[in-house]
Amino acid sequence: MSQPSALEEKLDHLQHHFIDSDQQFEASKMGMWVFLVTEILFFGGLFVAYIAYRTWYPELYMLASTELNTFWGAVNTAVLIGSSLTVAMAIRSAQLNQIKGLIINLYITIALACVFMVIKFFEYSHKFEIGILPGSYYSYEGIAHEKANIFFSIYYMMTGLHGVHVLIGIGLMIWLVVKAKKNVFHSGYYTPVEITGLYWHLVDIIWIFLFPLLYLID
Amino acid sequence: MSGHHISSAKFLWGVGTTLFLLTFITVAITWIAIPAPWNVVVAIGIAVVKAIIVSAFFMNLYWDTKFHAMLFVLSIVFFLLFIGITLLDTLYRTDPIPTF
Repeated sequence: MSQPSALEEKLDHLQHHFIDSDQQFEASKMGMWVFLVTEILFFGGLFVAYIAYRTWYPELYMLASTELNTFWGAVNTAVLIGSSLTVAMAIRSAQLNQIKGLIINLYITIALACVFMVIKFFEYSHKFEIGILPGSYYSYEGIAHEKANIFFSIYYMMTGLHGVHVLIGIGLMIWLVVKAKKNVFHSGYYTPVEITGLYWHLVDIIWIFLFPLLYLID
Repeated sequence: MSGHHISSAKFLWGVGTTLFLLTFITVAITWIAIPAPWNVVVAIGIAVVKAIIVSAFFMNLYWDTKFHAMLFVLSIVFFLLFIGITLLDTLYRTDPIPTF
């Protein structure tokens, strides 16, 4: 029995309270799904605010949405879908023991997430310049509706919270790269890659709904 | 049942391409002006299809244990309940809108 040393090394990740790697993996994944449920309800509150105010001021939404640039919204949608694809490819690489591929795919994902945030930065700063700020700070004159600030309060809350999630995702992805470079991941253990992937796909799904609801209604 | 399904690269690219295509369709559909309630229905309909594709094939719900799919679906059910009960209030107020 000279094998166990190699075998033991492969089981570094296994915590003592789990029977085997599979049980540990499944437990982590279920934990992540429960967290995603709370995320959906977290964003759900903002979607409900959106719906309630849209039924009260349908004409406001049509008017205010023209201030949002459909082109850049669509580009950002494509960027996030692309990053979901690279995350899926990163998980596939990890499953196949291709650590180099895993790191490359994580880098591309981080780059795409940064592109998303840069576009968002330019969208926000343009609005700040012309006085489109949330709530009582709103001073833009270009929308003929006395409640125009309400639409943008909702816009900033929804896209802002989503943006915070993208930033957290970038942080997690950097953490994954660091771990991957230390050779922590292999086909028998890639749980952090898998559950970060789940988180990232959910952030993508939320944007898939934000895009038509905010940008495409004019 | 185990959560270790490995998708082929070709399949993942296919899923991605479908999502890009659907994004294009959502934008393109606004160029033809669909009358009022239906434009929202179509936009949300396409978004729902995209969300199902992402959750089934990127988040692997299609191959995963049904328990995770159940969690996901239940969160949507409770979200719809949240919308429904809120609208029962906000849609039928006689003195409606709070100011802020």
